[in-house]
Formats: sequence, structure tokens, C-alpha cells
Amino acid sequence: MVIPPLRRKVLRDLTRLWAQVLAIALVLAAGVATLILGNGAYSSLYETRARYYEENRFADVFADVTRAPRALLGEVAAIEGVLDAEARIVKLGLLDIPGMVEPGSVLFVSLPETGGFNRLYLRLGRLPDAMSAEEIVVSDGFAKAHGLGPGDRLPVLMNGQRRDLRITGVALSPEFIYALGPGQMMPDPRRFGVVWAPRAALEAAYDLEGAFSNLVLKLAPGANPDRVIEALDRLTERYGGVGAKGRADQISHAFLDAELKQLWAMVRVLPPIFLLVAAMLVNMTLSRLITLEREQIGLLKAIGYTSRAVAQHYVEFVLLIAVVGIGLGFAAGAWLGVGLAQMYARFFSFPYLVFTRDPQLYGLAAVITLAAAVAGALYAVRSVVKLPPAVAMAPPSPAVYRERGAWIRRVLNLRQTGVMVARHLMRWPFRTLSSTLGVAMSVAILVASLWSFGSIDRMIDITFFRSERHDAQIVFGTPEPMPAVFAARTLPGVMVAEPFRQVAATISHRGHEKTLAIMGRPADPRLSRVLDPTLRPMPMPEAGVILSEALAEALQVRPGDLVTVAVQEGRRPIVTLPVSGLSVGYVGLGAAMEIGALNRLMGEGAMVSGVSLQLDPMQTAAFYAAAKTTPKTELISVTSLMLSRFRDTLAENITVMVSVYVILAGIIAVGVVYNFSRIALSEQGRELASLRVLGFTNREVSGVLFGELGTVVFLAQPLGWVIGYGIASAMAAAFSSDLYRVPFVVQRDVYAIASLVVCAAALVSAWAIRGRIDNLDMIEVLKTRE
Amino acid sequence: MPDASDIVFRARGLTKVYRNGALEVHALRGIDFQARKGEFIVILGPSGSGKSTFLNIVGGLDRASGGEVWFEEHQLTALGEGQLTQYRRDHVGFVFQFYNLVPSLTARENVQLVTEIARRPMRAEDALALVGLQDRANHFPAQLSGGEQQRVAIARAIAKNPEVLLCDEPTGALDSATGIKVLEALTQVNRAVGATTLVITHNAAIRDIADRVIRFADGRIVEETVNAVKKQPSEVAW
Repeated sequence: MVIPPLRRKVLRDLTRLWAQVLAIALVLAAGVATLILGNGAYSSLYETRARYYEENRFADVFADVTRAPRALLGEVAAIEGVLDAEARIVKLGLLDIPGMVEPGSVLFVSLPETGGFNRLYLRLGRLPDAMSAEEIVVSDGFAKAHGLGPGDRLPVLMNGQRRDLRITGVALSPEFIYALGPGQMMPDPRRFGVVWAPRAALEAAYDLEGAFSNLVLKLAPGANPDRVIEALDRLTERYGGVGAKGRADQISHAFLDAELKQLWAMVRVLPPIFLLVAAMLVNMTLSRLITLEREQIGLLKAIGYTSRAVAQHYVEFVLLIAVVGIGLGFAAGAWLGVGLAQMYARFFSFPYLVFTRDPQLYGLAAVITLAAAVAGALYAVRSVVKLPPAVAMAPPSPAVYRERGAWIRRVLNLRQTGVMVARHLMRWPFRTLSSTLGVAMSVAILVASLWSFGSIDRMIDITFFRSERHDAQIVFGTPEPMPAVFAARTLPGVMVAEPFRQVAATISHRGHEKTLAIMGRPADPRLSRVLDPTLRPMPMPEAGVILSEALAEALQVRPGDLVTVAVQEGRRPIVTLPVSGLSVGYVGLGAAMEIGALNRLMGEGAMVSGVSLQLDPMQTAAFYAAAKTTPKTELISVTSLMLSRFRDTLAENITVMVSVYVILAGIIAVGVVYNFSRIALSEQGRELASLRVLGFTNREVSGVLFGELGTVVFLAQPLGWVIGYGIASAMAAAFSSDLYRVPFVVQRDVYAIASLVVCAAALVSAWAIRGRIDNLDMIEVLKTRE
Repeated sequence: MPDASDIVFRARGLTKVYRNGALEVHALRGIDFQARKGEFIVILGPSGSGKSTFLNIVGGLDRASGGEVWFEEHQLTALGEGQLTQYRRDHVGFVFQFYNLVPSLTARENVQLVTEIARRPMRAEDALALVGLQDRANHFPAQLSGGEQQRVAIARAIAKNPEVLLCDEPTGALDSATGIKVLEALTQVNRAVGATTLVITHNAAIRDIADRVIRFADGRIVEETVNAVKKQPSEVAW
């Protein structure tokens, strides 16, 4: 096969300029990889969830009641828009595993009926015998965390009774993809598991014969979930219903949604940055190549090649760079995709992961990347087409400089070499600006990823050290009279006990409403506090309610406004209360009242839902053991365990993410700085060699080039900080949901670290160029005309 | 016989071999040479005769393969890279065929580029006045004619008050009238600064303005003539 000469030239140019080509290809590859990774992970997660929901018949509406007769089910199923309904028993129990000191809980769920909802995906063993009182299936994550399998025993406390259950199988459920235990901030499969047991066994254990405690509904296609929920709430009101939830408010589903939202944000932000920078690099590099090959272009045209053929030659050069980038990007995207899928597997319990290797996605990524590269090349290639051969064969007219910016020189007291730097930068303002922008983007990517560390520190500091300062909380199964606090006070190791009352309520204001738990606290709480925006603890108001900023935003209220509080339990009072203040808080939506005021509102006397405790660190084991066996105890949450789980999980994931971002930012910084220096060197090689002849040292000559680089990198820093701040604030807004908010704090060290990383990448590029400066051929430059 | 203290350059048995793969090119095959202080020497010879190689070694831009070169009391052939740079910086002025001005600096700034790092420079304005360009000080190279650019290059070369001025084909890219102006500038500064001046040229007509003429051929000095009477540049024609 004969390769046409121009094509051979493309291949030789690629080999000759391999370092620059690679630098550009890597930036393109980063764009391709993030595009594939983000889109791939998004559709993978989305498709997996959709298929899993479909195959296992994930319900649409969920409702808890205290105790409702099974007869109610017919009425529920008759609500317009309801396709089918299933009554279940869902109850909390406590773990009683010998040797496990820290408290853990299990959620008992009655097994789905034949043809029912939220069907199990059985991973091991078999389903329990419907008539058995002790056979159970446990959730996969929990079984793995404890090394349990079919045939093993699971000792638990059900309704205060010690029971030794027998595991027949291990399963997954679409209802618990993200298995967050009550009171937990992160899934902790060791301390929380789901246990599916035959309905009859649960009925017996929780005194619910002929009754149920939970409803799941499937809606008819096109049904309005809000209307169904309204009708359902009316039906369950009498039976202690605390407000039904659609999928959007179901914990597992909501967390998956939040993850999808984050991925979507990443897909929209990152790839365009890389493609933009790459297009810019292509433009810079190709323009220089064309300038250098001006005479060759003239020659080609003179001997009869059409402008189109010559232009095509340069476009081919760029397309090949893009092809290299796309190849690298495909490989990196696929590799990172596997990593992300593994990360998901740790977080989310899916029976399988639909990992889409959609050829369309790859095709789209390739087309977008090629388009970006060609777009970058267009301007440069246009000059090839316009260049008449006669003009091209003559040397280019010398670069015209103007004496501008004399003030810069005065202010900085520049030497002539400094003037060279300044004038050269100003001579090509577009290139200077686009390179500055490119470096700024790498700073921005770092700022936009590194801020999350500080944000989490703040979240932890405020949540665990300033606001929820208790060592443990005991939550009772049902509200208890005040003396329960004194009983808790007498448990071993308890130093301080502080009551709280928790009441489900819907708070509304001008058409906006949210259902949540109102927390009643003592007037001047010491252990579980709420903080005002300046982080001072707030006393509980005698009248009125304190809302978290997130809730106030959702309801669009300000302090002093009146909100309607419709309590969802007991005698269901509806009152209007003033908003007496706003509090900071990052987990969930919060509303707080003085416990006495809340109890007066409920009209049930002085009741408590649980106690916050300060413990003697030497006696925690004794406390756990005693608290577990107290009959009223439904849940024990331990702050230190929650915090360490929170830290470990986030630290692990953020470290992975940040390393990826640092690499991506490094690729941009190196790509831009390296290409910029190579071009500057190519343009000024002659001048720099002349300086060497005149007696300038290698160090002084490098100083001229590095002066240019340094200026670009220096100017890029503040610009990068600003852009990064913008991206970070948009991310904080995008990540915030009713489940959690991300405190938006960008500490100074974030800017410093981002700048240091980028400067280090710039130094690496400068170091790579230094050798070329040291080896400038002084004699060659004297013998040739430019 | 000149006074020994008057000798600026001494070269003995100077050789230079370029290796290109297996091929060896003998650019210099044993040069013996001396130059006195303030002497104006024209070096003639065909392309490839070794004259540029010789000038580059004397100017500290290239290294010899054998023999030795002394500049005053410094043995150039024994100096390292850094010392050669220092030698060029302190003692040598260069003028090249293609001027090698920095395009982003004005005429004055091109001269200041050198005066800033020189030990005993003259004022940039004075250097430009010596070559008759005081009025063009604020022009960029692109705004100057070829002859003017070359005169700026000469001003830049002599602004440091160098002991030696080395010129490689300074009129090579210029027409005759402009070339004469450049040569006038060279002889003028040679007198004014007293720098030993070595001028390489293809142009035999220039020989008459020199104190001494050396002819290179095939890596050797083949002829040396002393002009009893020097002509003015304006008197030569080509």
C-alpha cells in the first residue's frame, strides 16, 4: 500500500511532536473519560434501579400506622388511583448478639405476600416457612458484616422479649438499596439489618393479630400520588397514621436520587471544561505549526495541491490527536467505571448492576470530542486556506510590537528581559488569556473538589460537637411518662439524662408543606441543642417553633411568620405558631419546640419519646447491656459510633474522588503549561539563543521563558479561585436535598492547596522544557534567517 | 614583532572536527593566529573554509577539538560552559548576518539588554549615536531597515565596551550602499572603542579597509596580508 506523502507527513508530525500531542490527547481523554464515566454511571444506576424496581415490584406509596385492622385494607385498595395495596408489619427490634458490645437494631418486616410488593431477591438459602415462628431471612449487607448465613442463629430482642431466630436465607430488597437505620447518618450494616419474617410470627411477637402497622401501595399508571396520599392519610388517621410517603420521601429511593443528581451535575460540569481547554490547546498548537510550516504550505500550493487538500492535511493531524485522546478516554472511562461500580456496590445493595456499555454513549463521546478538536483547529486552518502561495513562500512579515503598558514596566521596575516577557504576552493576548483560563480551570476543578473536606469537618463539628453533644440516645417504642427519664438516669454509667419528645407533624405555610418530626427539648437544653446561624445555642421558646434554615427555605418563611402545624399523631391538633427563630443543621429538616409547650399542644400530659444521655466513658459496656434489656427501649443510638462510621465512609469516598480530581486537574495544568511553553520556546528560541550568545547565562535565559509561564500561572490563580468558588457553590446547591444539606464553606487552605498542586504541575512542565532551553543551538541561530 | 602585552588573541595548532555518524569533517586543521589590541582584521574565504568555526571558537560559542586559544591571560580552550558565558558577557561583542535583534524590544532597549548585564557599559544613547541612530532609538526592529537593524546590532555589540568585536558576514544580507554604512559604523567604533575587530566576509572588496587580511581555505590559513594603507569604507565598491 502506498501512503500518500501528505498522510505520511501527518504521521511524522505526530511522532515528532509526540509530547505536545500527548499533552493535548490527555486533556481530551479526561473529557471523554468523565463523559463516559458520568453518563455511564448515571445510566447504570438509573437502569439498575428501574429494572430492580420493576422486577421486584417496588411500591409507590408507604404509610406507617400504630395498629390498624386488616379490614381497612379493602378501603385502602378502593382509593381511586390505587392499583393494589398490601398490609405489612414493620417493627424495630434490638440486636442481642453475644460479644457485640455496641447496640444495634434490626427492622422486622413481614414477608411480602405471594404477588406482593417489594419482593425479595434471595441471594442464599430459602424463604422461611410461613407457619414457622422462628425462621427468618436477613439482609445481605447485615449477613456479610456478621458472617451469617442459612442455618445460623440470630439472637434479638423483639418487643422486649429475647428470641433466638434461625436464618434460612439471605436476601436483598428494592426497599433497602440504601439501608439506613433509624437515627443513622450513614449505612452501617454491622449495627443495622433488615429481618424478614412470616407475618404470623410478627403478629404474635408484637401483639398485632388481625392487624398491621404498615401499608404499601402500588398506584395505577397516571394516578396522582398526592391525591392518593391525602385519601390514605384520612383513612389511617384513626389508626395512628403519621402521614404516608411517596417514593420521593422513601429514604432508600431519596438517597439514590441524590446520588443521581450529583452524577448529573458532574456530567454537566466536567466534560465541557476539558473539551474547551483541549480545543484551545489544539488551536494554539496548530496555529504555531502552521506558522512554522508556512513556506511548506506555499510550496504545496505552488506545486498544485488545492487549499482544501492542504487544509485537510492539518485537520487530519488534529483528528488523529483526537483519536488518541478518545482511545485513552475510552480505556480510562471504562476502568474508572468499574471502580465507581465497586464503590456503589459498597454503598447500595443491588442484586446486580446493569453496567451499560452503550455503544451510542461511546459514539456520542467520540463525536463530541472530534467536534471539539476540529472546532479548535478551524481558526488556524482557515489561515491555511486563505494564504496565497506566493505570499506563503516569502518569509512572514516580522511580528509587530507596540510600546504598550509602559506603566507595568515602571511599577515592576522591569529589566529588558522582563519587558520581553510582558510584550510577548501582550502580543498574543488571545493565547495568553486562553492559557490563563486553562490553568485557572485546573485550579477551579481542585477548589471545587477540595472544599468538601472542610465542609464535612464543619458538618461534623456542628452536628456532633456543638449541637448533638450527647453520648447516646435511648428512643422508646411509644411515648412514656416523664418518670421514664429518671429510670434512664439510674442506668449504669449515665451521668446526665435529658428528655426529648418527638412528634410527627405537617408544617405548612402558604401552600408549602413538609412532614417531619418536631423535637421538644427542655427550655435550656445541655445535650441536644439547636444553634443559631452564629452557632450560639438557642433556648427553646415558650411559645413558637424554631425551624432549621433548610425547612424555612422550603416553606419560604422568615422569623416572625406564622406557620400551621398539623400534628399527625394522638388527637391530631392543628395550631398556628410563630416562627421564633432559625437554626443551622445539615441533616434532614428540623423543627424544635420547648418540651412543655409541645406536651401541652398534644394534651397527653408530660410525656417523653426518649432521653439524651451523657455517659461515663468507663462504663459504656455496662450501659449498653442494661439499656438493651429495658423493655421500653426501641432504639439506642451512640454518637461516637455514628460519627466514626460517618467519618470512615466519607473519608474513603472523598479520598477516592479527590485523587481523581487532582489527577484531572494535573492533566489540564500540565497540558496547558507544557504546550504554552513549547510554543513560546518555538517562537522565541531564536531570541533566547541570541541572548545566550550575548552572554546571558542558561539560568537568565530560562528566566525569560519561565517569566512568561509564571505570569500566566500567577494570573490564573485568582481567576481559578473565583471560578472554583462558583462551581463549588453550584455543587453545594445541587447536592442539597431534604435529606441533608452541604454547608458551603471554602476555607483558605482549599485555595492554597489548589494553587500548590497546580504550581507543582506547572513546575513539572517547566522542568521538562528546561533541558531544551539549556541545549539551544547558539551557532545554528546565527546562521539562519527566521 | 608586536609587544607581547599588546596581544589579545593567540591560537596555536587549533583544530575542530565535527562528527556526523561515521563521517568526520575537519573544519579546522591547525590554525596559528595572533591579533593585536585594536587591530581590524578581515577574514576571507569560501564557504566551508572554516572561518566561521574559527570565529565561533574565538568568541566562546564553540569548543575546539585540539590546540589552544588564549584571550589575554585566559586560555579559552580550558574554560567550562559557565566561564565561556562569562567571557562572552564581559569581553565580546557579536554582530551577525541576520542581526539577531529581539523583535519585542526597541533599538534602545536592545542595547540596554546588554548594558544591563555589562560591567562597564556606555550609555545606550551613546552607543546608538556612534552608529548614527540616536533618532531611531524608540523604533522596534520591524520598523527599521536592514541596514539600520544591523547598526543597532553593532551598537548593542559595542555598548559593553568589549575588548573584541566579532562580526560574521555583517553585510551579507545588505545591498552595497547600506553595507558601506554598516562598515563605516564598524570602523568608526573600532577607532572609538579600540576593540580588536574580526570581520568575516565573502566580499573581497572589503579587504581594503582592514589592517590585516587573512584568507581561509580548507580549514587552514593560506594567506595573510598587511595593508600598509587602509581605505575608508566609502572608497571601496562592490
